[in-house]
Amino acid sequence: MVADPEPQVAPDRGPVIEVDGIVTRFGAQTVHDGVSFSVPRGSLVALIGGSGSGKSVLLREMIGLHRPSGGQVRLLGTDMWSAPQAERNAVRRRFGMMFQDGALFSSLSVAQNVAVPLHEHTRLAAATIDQLVALRLLQAGLPADAGGKMPSALSGGMRKRAAIARAIALEPEILFLDEPTSGLDPITARGFDRLVRSLVDELGITVLVVTHDLDTLLTVVDRVIVLSQGRVLADGSVAEVTAVDDRWLNEYFSVRTILHGDRIDGS
Amino acid sequence: MTEPTWFRLHTEGGRSVLYLQGAWRLARLESIEARLQRLTLPADTGIDASALEQIDSAGAMVLLRRLDLEVDAASTLAWTGLNEGHRRIIDRVREQLAVGPPPPAPRRQSWLAGVGRRVTLLVELLTGHANQLGGTLVAMASLLLRPHRLRMRELVQLEQTGLDAIPVVALVTALIGVVMAYLLGLQAEQYGANIFVVDGVGIGATREFAPIIVAVVVAGRSGAAFTAQLGSMRLTEEIDAIRTLGLDPWQVLVVPRVLALMLALPLLVFVGDVMSLLGAMAITGSMLDITATAFVARLQDVLDVRHVLVGLLKAPVFALVIAVIGTRMGMTVGRDTRAVGAATTSTVVQSIVAVILLDAAFAVLLQAMEI
Repeated sequence: MVADPEPQVAPDRGPVIEVDGIVTRFGAQTVHDGVSFSVPRGSLVALIGGSGSGKSVLLREMIGLHRPSGGQVRLLGTDMWSAPQAERNAVRRRFGMMFQDGALFSSLSVAQNVAVPLHEHTRLAAATIDQLVALRLLQAGLPADAGGKMPSALSGGMRKRAAIARAIALEPEILFLDEPTSGLDPITARGFDRLVRSLVDELGITVLVVTHDLDTLLTVVDRVIVLSQGRVLADGSVAEVTAVDDRWLNEYFSVRTILHGDRIDGS
Repeated sequence: MTEPTWFRLHTEGGRSVLYLQGAWRLARLESIEARLQRLTLPADTGIDASALEQIDSAGAMVLLRRLDLEVDAASTLAWTGLNEGHRRIIDRVREQLAVGPPPPAPRRQSWLAGVGRRVTLLVELLTGHANQLGGTLVAMASLLLRPHRLRMRELVQLEQTGLDAIPVVALVTALIGVVMAYLLGLQAEQYGANIFVVDGVGIGATREFAPIIVAVVVAGRSGAAFTAQLGSMRLTEEIDAIRTLGLDPWQVLVVPRVLALMLALPLLVFVGDVMSLLGAMAITGSMLDITATAFVARLQDVLDVRHVLVGLLKAPVFALVIAVIGTRMGMTVGRDTRAVGAATTSTVVQSIVAVILLDAAFAVLLQAMEI
């Protein structure tokens, strides 16, 4: 068989994200008190919860930016907090992260931003990198001439697309999105939802999205995980989650009811 | 452990089939590309992907590009054995490649255009400084009419630019005094003219060196700080917020800094005068046997107060220039993080050059006026 130094991708199914009994404390305040869930390959999962429920902290713990007080996070089978440094770095190359307002490097053009991980982690020829960058921009739904622009010259929607293009530059297996549709107008936001869905369907990327956007939940997401009071309150399809009787959840989904009357239970 | 082959070209009975195999992933793209370079496809080749384990869009891209180069109408190639997931990726990439190559990078300009651009930039820079100076003076004048608008809270700048700078200014000027006295002493000793060292150090330090050295230190400390502070405020749109709240950023941000520096710099120069003379006194005592009493007596005889005053009066002018450059570079910084760093560096360089140019101008001017 082929000698492949790249850790072989477990063929298809099986969880790619495993969160096991995460406990997070800031001083006396307990943010997470045993959060556990797992995400199978190729799905689009949303993480929701009220303000202060610790969604963003959980996301930072998953990608290895914030050490949880207890519990384990395994991405692609590697423990993000106890595996050897080299192993964790290898995993870092296999997931992408889109920060809330893009976190594009403001002194580099869009194309240079997308090229950063390619230059850093591959030894491809410059011409190939240019071609790949162009492909990534198209995959993120940006016009070809957007590559030469500086991040400050982009609209909010384009900046998020550019951030996606950079996050998928290395063809990650997992993509984390932090509030991808916040600050976008509804039309742009729906376009963004379609883009995220296409990444899952066409490239087979597993996506975990932290969001507040009900339309995202109702239109493209496969599964919803609800964080509340430091625990996973509900975990299932949108229909299953709406059926859970909880004050915050009821209120959350009732916003939709106010707008659309009776549309809530059907879909 | 052999190098993976990725594909195999097999010809049988005049018909060729390209068998794809292995995992065509970005991580191995370099080796895939190197192998693809050596591929030549006969006409009418079929492609068999039944042994293809994985392909990602990067892998699909290099494959499709190569096939495009090799075969006139690559899309007519007969593909077999492609599974559904791989087909989706390949089809999507094919669509995206059809959009065409990205526009070429802009052409490089000739050196003459480069020179022209630099000159215009320099002119823009200088007119911008002049504009900032004018704006500062106007803001100060309007504050004179309505002094209650001056934000006393912002005068905390006086502490940061003045008080906090005393240790470094004292250290640097004392050492300059030591060095001056030592070098003059080496020469004067040969002629038995020891006492004249006091003349040289007294006039040189108070009239020229203390003001210059202190201004350079302050340009590095406070000028840079002004640019960095205002530059970050511009990045975070704080300056825009000040405007929309109906406040004048000139009055709120610029004038307090300019005033603070104009007050602080003469005081720091005075500290510099004293420290450089003390430094000189320390070394003349041990090296040239001039006692402290003799030093002070001689100083009283030869050091005209006008020399000290010239030094002290140059300071507010230096301060104005440093503060104007510092605040201007901060308020006009580009909206990205690297620009703040570049502007800060530029402030320091510009301020130091400006201070030295001004000092030269003062020297010529005062000479002509016989002061």
